[in-house]
Amino acid sequence: MTIDHDVLVLGAGLAGMRAALEAAREGADVAIVTKVHPIRSHSSAAQGGINAALGEGDSWESHAFDTIKGSDYLADQDAVEVMCREAPADIVEFEHMGVIFYRNEDGKLGTRAFGGASQARTYFVGDITGQALLVTLYDQILKAGVKVYEEWFATTLYVENGACRGLVALEMITGELHLVRAKAVIDAAGGLGRVFEPSTNALICTGDGYALAYRAGAPLMDMEMVQYHPTTLAGSGFLMSEAARGEGAYLLNSEGERFMKRYAPNKMELAARDVCSRSEVTEIAEGRGIDGNVLLDCRHLGADVILKKLPQIHEMALDYVGLDMIKDPIPVRPGMHYQMGGVKTDATGATRLQGLYAAGEVACVSVHGGNRLGANSLLDTIVFGRRSGKASAAYVKGVAGSRGGENVLHAEQARMQELLARPYTGETHARLRLELATMMDKHCGVYRNEAGLTEALKRLSGLKARYEKIAVGDKSRIFNQALTFALEVGFMLDCADAIVRSALERKESRGAQSRTDYPERNDAEWLKHILITYRTGKEPELSYAPVTITQWKPEARSY
Amino acid sequence: MQFTIEVGRYNPEGNYDERAVAGKPYPPPWDKASPRRYQTYTVDLPAHAVVLDALIAIREYQDESLAVRCACRSAICGSCAMWVNGHAHLACKSKLTTFTKDGKTRVEAPPSMPVIRDLVADMTPFWEKHHAVKPWLEAKQPEPPPMEEYRVPNAAMEELIQEVSCISCGACLMDCESFAVNPDFLGPQALAQAYRYAGDPRDAETKERLGAYSGPGGIWDCTHCYECVTQCPKGVAPLEQILKLRRLAVDAGFTNNAGTRHADAFADSVKHSGRLNELTLLPRSVGFFNILDQLKTLPSAFNMIRAGKLPPLIHKSIPGVQRIKNIFARVGGRFK
Amino acid sequence: MRVAFYPGCVSKGACPELYVAVNAIAEPLGLQLEELTEAPCTGAGVISEQNPELADALNGLTLAMAESKGAHLMTICSTCQGVLSNHNHHLKRDSARLDKVNATIGDQGFRYGGTTEVKHLLWMLFEDIGIDRIKAAIKRKLTGLKIAPFYGCYILRPAEYLGLVERPERKTYLEQLIGLLGAEAVEYSGATKCCGFPMLTFNRDKSLAMAGNHIMEAKDKGADLLVTPCPLCHLNLDGQQPDAARVLKKPIDVPIFHLPQLLGLAFGLSPEELRLDHHVVPTKGALEKVELKV
Repeated sequence: MTIDHDVLVLGAGLAGMRAALEAAREGADVAIVTKVHPIRSHSSAAQGGINAALGEGDSWESHAFDTIKGSDYLADQDAVEVMCREAPADIVEFEHMGVIFYRNEDGKLGTRAFGGASQARTYFVGDITGQALLVTLYDQILKAGVKVYEEWFATTLYVENGACRGLVALEMITGELHLVRAKAVIDAAGGLGRVFEPSTNALICTGDGYALAYRAGAPLMDMEMVQYHPTTLAGSGFLMSEAARGEGAYLLNSEGERFMKRYAPNKMELAARDVCSRSEVTEIAEGRGIDGNVLLDCRHLGADVILKKLPQIHEMALDYVGLDMIKDPIPVRPGMHYQMGGVKTDATGATRLQGLYAAGEVACVSVHGGNRLGANSLLDTIVFGRRSGKASAAYVKGVAGSRGGENVLHAEQARMQELLARPYTGETHARLRLELATMMDKHCGVYRNEAGLTEALKRLSGLKARYEKIAVGDKSRIFNQALTFALEVGFMLDCADAIVRSALERKESRGAQSRTDYPERNDAEWLKHILITYRTGKEPELSYAPVTITQWKPEARSY
Repeated sequence: MQFTIEVGRYNPEGNYDERAVAGKPYPPPWDKASPRRYQTYTVDLPAHAVVLDALIAIREYQDESLAVRCACRSAICGSCAMWVNGHAHLACKSKLTTFTKDGKTRVEAPPSMPVIRDLVADMTPFWEKHHAVKPWLEAKQPEPPPMEEYRVPNAAMEELIQEVSCISCGACLMDCESFAVNPDFLGPQALAQAYRYAGDPRDAETKERLGAYSGPGGIWDCTHCYECVTQCPKGVAPLEQILKLRRLAVDAGFTNNAGTRHADAFADSVKHSGRLNELTLLPRSVGFFNILDQLKTLPSAFNMIRAGKLPPLIHKSIPGVQRIKNIFARVGGRFK
Repeated sequence: MRVAFYPGCVSKGACPELYVAVNAIAEPLGLQLEELTEAPCTGAGVISEQNPELADALNGLTLAMAESKGAHLMTICSTCQGVLSNHNHHLKRDSARLDKVNATIGDQGFRYGGTTEVKHLLWMLFEDIGIDRIKAAIKRKLTGLKIAPFYGCYILRPAEYLGLVERPERKTYLEQLIGLLGAEAVEYSGATKCCGFPMLTFNRDKSLAMAGNHIMEAKDKGADLLVTPCPLCHLNLDGQQPDAARVLKKPIDVPIFHLPQLLGLAFGLSPEELRLDHHVVPTKGALEKVELKV
């Protein structure tokens, strides 16, 4: 089947749905392709809140400065300005749509403190902020009547004459491939957490959007900047929201000491995430951990605060480690959480591939630079989701629809048939993914060095060779997840390759990139972005882009 | 630890490969006349593992053809609601040790929904119901200017967090007893979301909502069985929200329905005699002048009379009924 | 053992056979039934949902009456049990609610201190009377009967109000008892489901379909009869069974026993003493299986 729309959004998380809503408001014929039902998107897992300088005494400049300092000066300051200036109106808009944000005594929106911020400017709904925003936005999509192709899995972007003109997607329920043509495509397919094991991310965060755009010719930027969240639950790696520390929780080592006083004496547990994660790894490495974890202690917050403001993580700790946060400290450790880098865009969401926009985690504007502040990711999704929706709707007014693309559809059909027909080879999606992801955690985690990254690159090339022989252990057309998992491993290998090459290239320590062989930040040589561009049959091309500095000159970073 | 998992399999195509189910497809599980086909797997997992861990282990290392929806693994995304030992649960929240019965855990798509494949249910009925309650704010006018929020007390927002905690997993609807006999019933999830908006002080259409929810398929079609409260993994307690809607609807004057008449008749009987008068409850609920529906109940009434199960024709009050009347006079509210 | 006996409206109304049967088995079980003749209806959840304060007061009054007798409040109805448990749960934990109740019933000369235990006969069998006493009272094993338990919603849900979190075994008492009496318990999903009675008056066909489906499921699994601790379930399952059969368009014909009737049979009482001849669905077939005649 071939379908035509003006604007096609890939992904139905916050960024995707916000983009679709805006494009629809601008009068575009818009549709969403998503591999899971919108409500299942990983935006729902964002717990702590969303930042904006909305309160009295706060200013967008203060928010911008905190963000830029948090980024270790790698963020583009013009983009950060856009985000921080527009944040208040976007949050209030969500309030008007119905989000039940926490209020203060005056009945106005109330805040909580968050890491790396000089003011309490995080707006929230308990510890289910992402879910509350996502459901509200989904309901707005219903109200606006936006067409959603649910459980459609994108296999490739369709590029014609140097412009993105749609995509090919597998309808899971029927097993049919469809060509969905559009005058503009917005890539909002979310993160790539599964490239690492363990990760806080859902099983669906497989980097599809990065790989699709990358293979289509759009460069990726800042890919070495992988955030490890300081508090992920022992064992499963589930996220224990930063809101816990925002409400006043302590990080303790095996000696019961609040060790952050030695690393960030001013901000303590509310230092930026990269700082906290490194501190924890150091504590554990120096023998002050507990089975490879440190402790998150909420006991002094009291049952009322825990049950009212942190109910979800309270429930998760009970369910998955059998501990009651009211009575017990919880074992946590740093875990892969977020990819700061992504498809390079400008502040309207436009990528370097004509007709392709990107927003949300998959995009890199860059507002997070080397390290994202907690509660800035939800903000990123709704600000740049909206902006890409608006920009793409304007763009498509001057563009004629494509009449081609059948050849791409047929090529994809042949590729899927070949994959399905391949006999059992011993290479399975599960084994390849696990090997890849544990390898990435080992060599490309909180601390990195040349030897490890080189080893990673070598292992990657082996994994890529084996991937060419992957077999799909399910021959059915209906809801064939073995097939989509196999395709996802392909996406993940592309992502991992971009991450490792970028990390190897950046010979300094900045933000989330901590090179033990280059332990210092080196502004003279490395105050610049690394871009990586896919080349068929050749190694990818690495290039640089300057960091935009407006009013905040880089300075030493301490908390 | 070794766990044995029995998985309800179904593929409309039937062409599982040689490592999966051999043989032909079986009829859809909702066809009650046909037995389900189960496939047994053994998995080795830590003692604290959940059902989803087992399913993932199976599809990753034993049988790639097993279809199951899941994403977050931590009871947030709502993907993995399914039947575990005959009731709807999130697979990711169900400990294997708790759910091992007679040496095994039985997992299947809920029979109350159409099945796409294996454990993947067709959730269309669920989403249609969600949509049908108009789950969005109809902003109260005048809407505050773009940079200003509605001023509402935090308590009014906290009151709604229970409903907002809904992850749309569908466990409540899967086990809803009214839905099982009445596909038109909006069901627990949708009605809990209905309350989430009807109870929002920023909503302008509370009255229209209550009117709509009082109609067929709405709040009065709930049988009050508490299954949804029991099955909800997030403490949304949908029935409690339906009861809130009933109170709001009655207060808003939507009383011309059998549900309200039933409640009124019930309360009236207790007020006057201290006890229930079964004889008048039925005709009053149906409506005295609803001759057709009254006639429908006659055969049953006749059967009961013949069996000697007729309540005393002269309804006697309990001793000390004046106390009850006094209590009604004091806190009876609408029933005074 | 003395109990403050709360018969509920239905055993004194449309199900007189239940009242007769429970009185008949009291002696073999050593129960002294001190009936709370002045206690009001619980409101069956209907009043609770419309006016929680009124329901608190009505049930608080009943709880206070039992408290003054210094004995467990014994119910013979899942619905009465559920409603009383629900209000008792809250009154024991929420002093503001309890104060309100006492302000209301205080004028009527009552005060509730929050100490009453509300227990269905089914629970008392296992928790207070004891298996040994039941065994000793058995004169006639019900061997050969296949019996499907039917609990009724309000004795199972919500679990926290009913003490099922602390005592999950309460969810298995019917099956255990059936076994104890020498019969075989039928396993089927309907055992814990809704009989449909709460919406009988305003959603008749759906209500009857529920009742009919559950009985048919039990029948398909070989049940000779259903036993229920809830007379409201009984009204739907037995009283409305011919109509349920019309809705399902197939014959059902499965007798429904009240819990005390089943006990009574095993204790050697005659079907007439237990009023098993006063059912809409004849009990004859099931009784003949244990060589009894009505």
